[in-house]
Amino acid sequence: MSGEPVAAATAGTRPAPATTAGPPTVRPGRLRRRLTIAFVLVAGISAGVLAGGSYLLLRQARYDASLHAAAADARYRLVLAGQFLPLTEQRRTELLTSFEGSGRHVVLIAGDTWPSDPAYAPALTERLRSTVAAGELGYQRSAGPTRLLVVGGRVPGSTAELYVITDEEDLVAGLEQLRNALAAGWVLVVLLAATVGHTLARRTLEPVGRASRAARAITEGLLATRLPVAGRDEFSGWAASFNEMAEALEAKIAALHRAQERERRFTADVAHELRTPVTALVGAASLLRDHLDQLPGDARRAGELLVTDVVRLRRLVEDLMEISRLDAGREAVSVTDVDAPGLVRRIVAARGWPDRVTVDGGPLRLRTDPRRLERVLGNLIANAVQHGAGEVRVRTARSGDRVHVDVDDQGPGIPAEHLPRLFDRFHKVDPARSGGGSGLGLAIALENARLLGGTLTVHSAPGTGTRFRLDLPGSAPEDVPSTRAAAENAGSTRVSSGLPDAGGSEPTGGTG
Amino acid sequence: MDGRVLVVEDDASIREVTALGLRRAGFRVDTAADGRQALTAWRSGTVDLIVLDIMLPGLDGLQVCREIRRSSAVPILMLTARTDTIDVVVGLECGADDYLRKPFDLPELVARVRSVLRRAVVPPEPGPLRVGGLEIDSGAFVARRDGQELPLTTTEFRLLLELARRPGQVFTRELLLDRVWNHSYLGDSRLVDVAVQRLRAKVEADPGNPRLIRTVRGAGYKLVAG
Repeated sequence: MSGEPVAAATAGTRPAPATTAGPPTVRPGRLRRRLTIAFVLVAGISAGVLAGGSYLLLRQARYDASLHAAAADARYRLVLAGQFLPLTEQRRTELLTSFEGSGRHVVLIAGDTWPSDPAYAPALTERLRSTVAAGELGYQRSAGPTRLLVVGGRVPGSTAELYVITDEEDLVAGLEQLRNALAAGWVLVVLLAATVGHTLARRTLEPVGRASRAARAITEGLLATRLPVAGRDEFSGWAASFNEMAEALEAKIAALHRAQERERRFTADVAHELRTPVTALVGAASLLRDHLDQLPGDARRAGELLVTDVVRLRRLVEDLMEISRLDAGREAVSVTDVDAPGLVRRIVAARGWPDRVTVDGGPLRLRTDPRRLERVLGNLIANAVQHGAGEVRVRTARSGDRVHVDVDDQGPGIPAEHLPRLFDRFHKVDPARSGGGSGLGLAIALENARLLGGTLTVHSAPGTGTRFRLDLPGSAPEDVPSTRAAAENAGSTRVSSGLPDAGGSEPTGGTG
Repeated sequence: MDGRVLVVEDDASIREVTALGLRRAGFRVDTAADGRQALTAWRSGTVDLIVLDIMLPGLDGLQVCREIRRSSAVPILMLTARTDTIDVVVGLECGADDYLRKPFDLPELVARVRSVLRRAVVPPEPGPLRVGGLEIDSGAFVARRDGQELPLTTTEFRLLLELARRPGQVFTRELLLDRVWNHSYLGDSRLVDVAVQRLRAKVEADPGNPRLIRTVRGAGYKLVAG
């Protein structure tokens, strides 16, 4: 069905959500077929009843008329036959010849059976014979190869019986013709009904198909999809309601976007505003740390707490800044050759965890952004070291054109109810345990993994430990800062032209 | 270690704490709260290094940097508070030698300042190096082309010297970060790229088509003598 295309415009600034399974699909055309069949049934049955009824009534009337005429004729012939009494052989022959001559075949039974024409000598039923013997007029219709109507009676004043024979061949042929014509007409009506029903169903259901496509388009994020409103039928009213709904939805989502945008801007502003005082605090704390032992007991303890908490505050602010940069889509990916296990070993060495973390696997090279990979793995390993118990294992393996890194700990595991929200910002498995993290570590790791074209998943069973798996493409999608960031930094376009042969995508060499 | 550092920072607390930290590390410190004060302070005395905040009221750090670079190769360590990474590149292109992102650690700042200053003190070669029409005098810390002194910053000079000591050898960006900037472990390779860019603008006959300092795709840079 061609139909006009759904009036759609690309509105979704966000990519369509990756639906795992579509809605239950209605097989197209099924309803249309059902409607057509119903239409044909109604038309066929009513036309059939009408034609069949008329035919039966007409046939009855024709047979009755034929019988009446034959009966009248038979009475007349019986009176005539009375003139030939007594039936000597000669008079009998005269009678038969006379009737045959007037165009009537008759059968005379007077002791013996005498047909006027031997070709027209139907077998007479017992019923007819007894009716006639009782002195009444009787008839029978023979169903033989020739349709014959036999009307018989007793010749008045004798025991002879006279049977007058009418050939109904023409009548039956006429009825047959009528029946054929009616049947052909019925077939025509059914065909016409099928055609009209099909077309009508298609016409009727077309707006339904259009609405279904429009709904699908909206589901896929094309929020500006609208249905054409033409005419004043029920479907137009429906289309108008649909459009109202789509409009409301679009407005609602736009409002949500704005709210989210405000929230993100607020986060970015807060982080930015906090940065200056935190910088001063970090500097002051670092000076204070060098003089802690010169302070009296209580003041020293206070100083120690101050120094520790400034470190936490700094990390929180830095994480907030990073997540707001990621939200704004300003982060560029700078792809180069990276040896994943080598990078892991460097992280472990730099953070001072060599006795807690075991790194498995030989050199495994992939093309990705080492700084982002370091952020993800650093966060995952720090998480495992902090919350897991015993040994932390990091395994790197390649499968096909993808590379995955598993970070396993042997900790108490994460309760199942926390798993779905584990990567949410500020989600804490144990609210009472403040820990040393900002609550943003896993959220940042997830965003960075996405930026590298990868996924981050977690499997955890209480008692046996937790496994975080980072799954990366062997070659990360190289990109430039998003168009949004580029537009905001239009004033510094010379940056890109200033680095003609040393773009961010150029490998920086991979000496370990 | 002795040296005179000018700290340009509009936030009083950061300015004071930075000055304190640098003084404790043995530097003499002058401070300025905005761009104009910075230029005045720089002109009135001998400054060995400038710690320059990018976000300044009035004349901002980038403008101050460009103004100073017009007549001086004094080492500049840039402080950036912006969340934008593009800012760093712009600052480096203006001629800053290195950068630090706020919030920074005082010990790290001191280490960077020392490292930038140390670039001025390299073990001198026995005699001037001559490569590709350049004469590099590591003792006098100057490079000349046809007897004409080239206006190189200390970072650019160190980069040129590093490459010129072993002509033909490919230097990865990480190696250069380590040797010239003393950055280790995942430093920002843009420092190298921007510095090479600026160096080419000063030593190449046609910076758009560099013949002396070549990019080795997928590896790094090398200097081709002759």
